[in-house]
Amino acid sequence: MSPDRAGLKVGPMNQRCAAPGASQGRGRLSRRRLLAAGGALALGWSVAGSALWWRRRENGQRAAVFIGRAADYAADLAALIAAGLREIGLTRTQVRGRRVLLKPNLVETAADRPHINTHPALVLAAAEVFRRLDAAEVFVAEGQGHRRDSWLVLDESGMGEALAQASIEFVDLNHDDVEPVPNAGGWTALDQLYLPRTLRSADILVSMPKLKTHHWAGVTCAMKNLFGVMPGIVYGWPKNVLHWAGIPQAILDISATVRPALAIVDAIVGMEGDGPIMGTPRHVGAVVIGRNLPAVDATCVRLMGLDPQRVPYLAAASGRLGPIRAGNIAQRGEPIAALQTRFRLLDLPHLRAMQRA
Amino acid sequence: MQRATRLDDESAAPGGRRPLPRPPQIETGPVSSDWRSVLAERLAGAANAAGAWGYAAVSTGCAEPTALAALALVAQHAAPLRVRCALDWLAQLQRRDGAVPVSAQVSSPCWPTALAALAWLRCGSAADGFGRRIAAAIDWLLETRGRAVPPDPAAHDHDTTLGGWPWVTGTHSWVEPTACAVLALRAAGHAAHPRTREGVTLLLDRALPDGGWNYGNRRVLEHVLRPFPATTGLALAALAGEPRTAAVDAGLDYLARELPRIHAPLSLAWGLIGMRAWNATPAQAEEWLAACARRLLERPVIPHYEALLLLAGPEKCPLIVPG
Repeated sequence: MSPDRAGLKVGPMNQRCAAPGASQGRGRLSRRRLLAAGGALALGWSVAGSALWWRRRENGQRAAVFIGRAADYAADLAALIAAGLREIGLTRTQVRGRRVLLKPNLVETAADRPHINTHPALVLAAAEVFRRLDAAEVFVAEGQGHRRDSWLVLDESGMGEALAQASIEFVDLNHDDVEPVPNAGGWTALDQLYLPRTLRSADILVSMPKLKTHHWAGVTCAMKNLFGVMPGIVYGWPKNVLHWAGIPQAILDISATVRPALAIVDAIVGMEGDGPIMGTPRHVGAVVIGRNLPAVDATCVRLMGLDPQRVPYLAAASGRLGPIRAGNIAQRGEPIAALQTRFRLLDLPHLRAMQRA
Repeated sequence: MQRATRLDDESAAPGGRRPLPRPPQIETGPVSSDWRSVLAERLAGAANAAGAWGYAAVSTGCAEPTALAALALVAQHAAPLRVRCALDWLAQLQRRDGAVPVSAQVSSPCWPTALAALAWLRCGSAADGFGRRIAAAIDWLLETRGRAVPPDPAAHDHDTTLGGWPWVTGTHSWVEPTACAVLALRAAGHAAHPRTREGVTLLLDRALPDGGWNYGNRRVLEHVLRPFPATTGLALAALAGEPRTAAVDAGLDYLARELPRIHAPLSLAWGLIGMRAWNATPAQAEEWLAACARRLLERPVIPHYEALLLLAGPEKCPLIVPG
């Protein structure tokens, strides 16, 4: 099948991974085979080679990451977030007059599974903090990956009611106006990425993921959460273009291109096992905050009892998008060991290398 | 991040920059019966200067909301000139190969081609003169096929070799684009075409074991996935005219359980369209639609939501193509 036009070149030349969960073409590397072959090295020279190259560069990189303790969602999350922002050096001056976009994870909803999505209480707390810091505007936006119906997702997750009570606006990124931007990463063969105009109009983008295992990528956190800024009208439901382009590679490209200013991770109750939607709840009792997303994700991975170097997208991000080595991350707040909670990954070949860590 | 040009009317920015109205569970009183004319008038007035609709007021014209708006206005016998403009706009958007992209800003993906074809086919006299456009769109649909991959039973249990329709050329087939393509091909008189038959087979294959459809995966690894009301309704609408199977019955049962608690226009509308395609409209449908319309009217127009609500009413729905 010939590639389609306008930058969405999803054809055989781009095939580094198979369709989500589906098998690969004969003689080609599938996502599952790639990941099964052993972490970053299995991603092929483009990712593993760059990981080795850029790891040397990490020597010059430092990032601060804050871990706050919150036993549950009734905790004073606004105070915790405010403390975390102070600890990582985000000042009122940097927020005043800015438009702040909070991007939670609302991938799919189910009445009995609130642990799929970022909890509304954390989003409200973040909004309150940014308003107190004199942000010109705080709003929430998401382009959820499975369900097209944003209103239903907002209704079922409780996010809609929470946002209405706090007079916080919601923007449906799946159906936004879009504009092409050059792919700043280069890990996939996508020349350009289509981004929602709303995203480009925000001054401060805050990735607010749920801490979860992911049955393909191993982990989904602040960087993978950015799949949700990619507009569904261009990438589909699911965003299968990104799957075919390679999930780890797409995570890296989107992160490199979008460059969020901040991450606030809902690690109070996460998900283990068959994440990102079918796993089981796992209590950690933490909120993780940082300005460098690889450093945040690496810290969260350590909280899960895993080794970031064995998570392919993080190994590849090391040094190029930020530091992931413990020595290069200035840990603030609670020590990792105090809240570390071993997360169970599915027993699948491509995840075993991460389990062994 | 770099600041982009802001829209003039912030209240009407992409996606609707206002708090989401709360679900109208509490409002169960009598509802004005003329909500359809109010909604249709508002929808007609939301077209942009080019005669198209975006996904929000004052946003870029897009093929899907424009096609749905045209169909909805025809169903309401409203604004024929607007309908004609919409059909003309879709024709201008059409590529030489017959495909209709999402908007004028992007030349792909072209999954709205099926909806554009439906609009040209089902808008009655307003659609006179679009024969070549329809033929080109149908040809493109018949040529377009989702990417098949070899079966991998450990990962999936659906038939990954069936060729339905993808959202984006070169990717796998999924339920919504396949259902829309089947609807368009049926409307064009191609119900017996092998591609239509394969699309129907794919839809039946993707039905979830406990009833309903989601975006198109039945199972991933260990778990059977959850159904969604909107894609269930769409699949049922596309299957109208086919023999009534266990998958159809299970889908209808799922919607009958699910729709009473749904107040979101997209899911409610597609759910009801799917049920109506099988003469299974719930008795409370009108009440639900009116409550949903009231919720929509509390905020700036969202054209594709409003169009779908109008299409889900008791009038003859141009989306449903009887067998």
